[in-house]
This record gives sequence, structure tokens and C-alpha cells, in this order.
Amino acid sequence: MEGQSRRDLLRVAAGAVAAVPVLAQSASSAAPLFFTPVEFRMVDELSEIIIPSDAHSPGARAANVAAYIDKSLAEAFENEPRQKFRDGLKVVNNLSRQLNGAAFLESTPAQRVAVVARMAQNEKEPKKPEEKFFVEFKTSVAFAYYTSSIGIHQEMEYKGNVLQTEYAGFDASLVPIQLPDSSK
Amino acid sequence: MQNPSAAGPEVDLKTVYDAVVVGSGAAGGMAAYVLCSHGMKVLLLEAGKQLDTTKELKSMEWPYDHPRRGEMPPGYHPLTLNEYNVRNPPYAKDSKFPHVESYVQGWNGPDYSKNIVVDEKDHPYTGTRYAWVRARLVGGKTNIWGRLALRLSDYDFKAKSRDGYGEDWPISYADVAPYYDKVDLYLGVSGHKENLPYLPDSLFQRPVKLTASEMKLRAGLAKMGRVLTPYRAGVTTDGLKHNKYRSKCFGRGACDRRAGGCDIHAAFDSPTGLIRPAMDTGNLSMRPNSTVYEVTVDPNTGKARGVSFVDTDSGKTYEARAKVVILGASTLESARLMMLSKSSQHPNGIGNSSGHVGHNFCEHVMGPGINGLVKDLVGKPRTLDDGRPGSFYLARFRNLTDKRPDFIRGYGFEGSSGTTMIPGNAFETLGFGTSYKKAVRDYAGAYISMGAFGEVLPRYENGVSIDPDVKDKWGIPVLKFNYQFSDNERKMAADMAATAREMFEATGIEVVSVNREILTEGWSIHELGTSRMGHDPKTSVLNQFQQSHDVPNLLVVDGSSHVSASCQNPTWTIMALCWRSCDHLADELKKGNV
Repeated sequence: MEGQSRRDLLRVAAGAVAAVPVLAQSASSAAPLFFTPVEFRMVDELSEIIIPSDAHSPGARAANVAAYIDKSLAEAFENEPRQKFRDGLKVVNNLSRQLNGAAFLESTPAQRVAVVARMAQNEKEPKKPEEKFFVEFKTSVAFAYYTSSIGIHQEMEYKGNVLQTEYAGFDASLVPIQLPDSSK
Repeated sequence: MQNPSAAGPEVDLKTVYDAVVVGSGAAGGMAAYVLCSHGMKVLLLEAGKQLDTTKELKSMEWPYDHPRRGEMPPGYHPLTLNEYNVRNPPYAKDSKFPHVESYVQGWNGPDYSKNIVVDEKDHPYTGTRYAWVRARLVGGKTNIWGRLALRLSDYDFKAKSRDGYGEDWPISYADVAPYYDKVDLYLGVSGHKENLPYLPDSLFQRPVKLTASEMKLRAGLAKMGRVLTPYRAGVTTDGLKHNKYRSKCFGRGACDRRAGGCDIHAAFDSPTGLIRPAMDTGNLSMRPNSTVYEVTVDPNTGKARGVSFVDTDSGKTYEARAKVVILGASTLESARLMMLSKSSQHPNGIGNSSGHVGHNFCEHVMGPGINGLVKDLVGKPRTLDDGRPGSFYLARFRNLTDKRPDFIRGYGFEGSSGTTMIPGNAFETLGFGTSYKKAVRDYAGAYISMGAFGEVLPRYENGVSIDPDVKDKWGIPVLKFNYQFSDNERKMAADMAATAREMFEATGIEVVSVNREILTEGWSIHELGTSRMGHDPKTSVLNQFQQSHDVPNLLVVDGSSHVSASCQNPTWTIMALCWRSCDHLADELKKGNV
């Protein structure tokens, strides 16, 4: 079997959003399955701040990241991830009121970014509830975005999953191995 | 593999077959293929189900076309490292989840293998901690194996002669080399010739290429006398004219999705590589859903008469009879079966007059590894690196010409680098916003990582026994583990982490992280040695042709027979030894010697 680190990371990512079908659902259309409408808009806005549309590619909103997370939580076997998300969003609103004097969605775009910046300030060793929530939330967003069509094809410009006549890379014989006689 | 039994003769339990083979993975599949090719009438019994893996694996499916992006349905739970380490088996006992599967189902895209890996709830075991990964279906673990196909050398077969520990194998490289060649040519193996005496070359098909970072590491290591070589994959990269069930590798990607599997069967699997061809001889009958629980004995001769099995659908039990019984149920399941097969002639279990069945259990220790960054590659145009069936292998370098003061034997590294469909660094890159997106893009192809696989010494006291108090879903007593790593493995593991760092630093690769922790026993899925071969019937279970010392018409052709683990992945050796033993058996039968 092979090394485990990268796959473990993906596992962590996937585990946070336990599991669930996602139909192509636009952020604004169908009613959310788990989130309240306000929560859903918060998740949508937070995900777009973390992975925004920019000159290179569309972002989390266009990739329907909030809808994927919503469906994942709705179907999760355990209640714990649902509760964590709901509690986390409350923490975000409290932080926003503290920083901006208004709930997250009632703040200005710049004020919302300031809230996320505060959440992200200890990403390596998160301690406060909003810092811990940021790490979990971002992992879910990254998984949903980088497994989406936009993430794979537009953002990462992945060219695989089609027939390749030759492997990419270098022929090993370009670096010949000449071991000292003693090791033979 | 829609309905392979339709291709062979109907199973007839009134017939005395020439051979009954238990298990249909690398060992059982090979035994069936070789014996059928010799014209013998073979009955193959597989404990698991018949599954159309082409439909299960869906290697080309995009993540976003899967309802859960490759994740398992709610209620399926993969065991975590923490669960293996803080509890003792049975790990699924009292779990709140309806389905519990082994840790490999925690990897990327587990939904595709959830029906291949067993549900731990149906298959308990007890004793010391052990991450036991099992696949019960036609083809066994070959349906999802990591496909690293390596040879052993006399550094392994004659290891005792070199350092005094354990036992030499009753064979040398020269005995097995012709059979490695046969396996290479019949199944296909990709690799690059290196002429290393301690890692013999195969008869290679087209090798995979190396990424820029792998070339850099190869060049740097060459100066240290160490060899990084393109992944030696049990994958046909040029195609196999003699096998119409397998395609050559398309290099299309998704090989990174694990637990493994290849829906075009370019990677070797037993169903398309061995069982289908065996059926085409007209000599093979196969019965899935048939869990063998006893080797039956002729009360007059003490020889094996056949096997008793339970139909896992109906619960009914049957006996199948044959002139020869061949066990290829896996290292641990074959040992379990032998110990369960007690009779007045074989009170210790069949083939176990030595008392060595279940003992000398060994495998590979893993965990220590490294992740590094090649700064020159940051921001460079992306290449398609995951179309390769594997990245690289770094051959053993310890205790070849030198002698370590702190441990014996050696270890190799498996590694990978470059881009993948889903960028792993997205989960490590700090920050958010446009700068985060750009950093993920720029760094995605610049990482290189590797993890070590080290030889675990066989020790008599490391083993498995029958736990009479706990039974599986079909009422068969389960295995109890009494197995743990020793000081040699711990010292070797410390050296793995140190040399990983040393090699990256010496070649100018920035070290991002080093892992020093040993993973739970069993993690390598390379369990070996519970019925070792040897010349002396008092200290070994099988002779050099994997034939029981006690019962001449009983063979054990899986990893059970290995005398030591070496540090190379065992599947290719399992198949070469099995081919050799089955050729010998066919000869002996013709001479009337069995």
C-alpha cells in the first residue's frame, strides 16, 4: 500500500462533511435541506470570501459549495457535525457584532472580510471557538470546491482522466546510476 | 466477470476433483491457473461474493458526478488510526455505525471500494491491536492492491547467512528467478532496469516517467549510492496479447484514488489476469460465497480428503473432495483454517505437528516518512503527473555492505510527487481569498513525499491462534492476535525518519514535515509467515514446494510460506512461488508421488 498523508488529509476534509448527495443546486434556488435560509446565506458568503471569484476562475459561490455542505450535513449519520456548524455560525455572528456592531450578513463586504481575517489569524494553532471553526469550515469549503467541476477544470486546469499515449515526465535513464563497486 | 461460473463446468460436489483451491486472490488464482493449464480438474472456492469490479470501481467518474464526491453513504464508518490504537479488537463491537470498515476506506474515494473491503461487524477478531484489512470477493485484495511488484534477492532468501538471525529460506534466488520471469511475462510489470543485486530487475514493460522533483532526488541519491527508480508496477503498460480481458494502461489518471482498483484491468487483478484464463481451459469450476472452515481428513491415511464449507447465502454446509487441497486463503486465513482442522490424526490442526502454524508471523513496519517542497517548481506550468500507475520506489540501502549497530535488515521507501486531480495542498495552505487560491495553484505540483516499509523480524512468539469464544457471522471461531513490534522495528523506524530527512536535505529539497510515528501493526497489509517453509519438519510447516511436511497432499501457496518478510512488497513473490510449487505438484502427481 502507499503513503497515507495526502489521502488522510482528504479524509479529514471529507469527514468534516460526512457524506451526502449534491444535485446541481444553485445557491439561490431551492430551499436548503439543513440550514435556515439565513444560515445558508452566511455559509455561501463565508465560502466565497475564502475562495472568491477572481481573474483566474470562478469561486466557491459559482461552484455551489454552500449547497454541497448543506446536503452533506442534512444526510450526515451523526448529529455532531450539524451541531458544530450551527454553533460555529453563531460564533461568527457574535464576532461580527463585536467587531462591526452588526450581524455578519448586515455588515459591509469589507467588514465581513475583517471577520474572516480575525477567524483565520491562528490557523496553525487555533484556540478560540471562531478560530477552530474557521479551520473546520475552510476544510469543508476546500473539499467541496476542489472536487467541483469549476475547481478541477477551471481553477486547477486538470488535464487528466483522458487517454494519454505517453506518461508525462522524464526518462529515468537521463540520470544514470553508477554505484560504487562496493555496493554491488 | 459478469458470470464466470458460466464459463467453467458446473460445480459438482459428488466429483473428486484433482485439486480444490481455497481462495481466489493472487495465490489461489495463480494455483487455479497453473493447475488447469496442466490439465487438472480444479474446484476453486471463494469465501466472498462475485462482484463486477468494472462497475464498482468506475475509475473515470469525476468527483462532482458522484453524489457524495466519492465518499461512502451515511452510516459507513472507516476505522481511524486512533481507534486502532486506543482500543483492542474486535473494533466494530458496540459501534453506533451500521457498517464499519478498515482504515483504507478512509482514503480518497472510498465509495468505490466499500463493497470490496469486508464489514468488520461480520468479521471480528480479538487479541492485540492489529489493523487487518480484508477483501472477501472473487480476486480478494488483488482487486484493490497497491500494485508495487518487486522481486526478492538472496539478500532476503539468505538473510540468516548474512546476519545470523532467524532462518534462511530453503530456496535461493536462482530457484525462483525463472518463475519471476514467467509471472512478469504472463501478467506484465512496468519498471526501469537498474542492475541492483539486492533488488533484481524484472522483465519490464514500458516504465513510468519521473517528475522534475523525482529526477532531482534520483540524481542526488545516486551520489549517496542510493537508488530511486520509477515505480515497479504490476501493471501492463504495453498490453498483453495473450489476455483479452485486460487492457494496457491508458495513463489517464485516478490511480491516486484509493483503496485502489483499475476498471480496465491494466493493473493486475486475479479475476482477469488468472481466473478467466483458467476458465478458458475448460478445467476450472468456481464457487463463490463458499467459506471453508475445515480441511477434512481421510481417517485411514491421515491425508487430506477435501474441505468443508458453508454457503454464505443459505448457511448450508457441504464437503468438496479432491486429490489435493491447496490453501490460498491469505496468510492469516490459511493459518486459521489449518488450526481449525483438528482431527484424531492431526490433534494440533492439520499440518501442525511442528506447532509452528500461526507463529513466526511477520510483515512490514511503516509510518515514518517525509513531505518536502522543491522550490524551483513553485509557480511552474502544471504537468499531468497522476496518469502514472505509481510514482517512485527508493530501494533498500541499509545493512547491504555496511552493518548498522542498532538494527538488522532494511527498508525501502514508496513515494509520490507532482499534481493530482484534487490538490492535497489545498488542505495545508494557510490563509484565504485570492492569495490562497493562487498559493494552492502555484505549489500544487511542487511537493514530494515518501514513506518507508521496513522488514519486521519473524519471531516465534508473534502469532495468531483460534479464539474459541468469539465467532464470525457464520459461526466460525475467529483469530486471536498475539503480535507486536520489537525493538529492532522501533530502532529501524527511528532510522527511517532520520535518513528521510538526510536525503531530502542533501538534495536541496525543503523539508516540510517529518513523521516519526509507527503506524498500528498490520497497516502495511503485507502479513506473511504463519506456515513457513523449511528443510526441518520440526521447525517449519512446509517444504520448499509449499507442501505440508505432515500431509503430502496439502499445499499452502500464499504468503504463509514466507520465511522472512524482507522489505519488498510480497505479491509478485507469492505468485512466483505458487507457480513453482504447482508445476512441481503437477509433476509429482504424474509420477504418482502425492
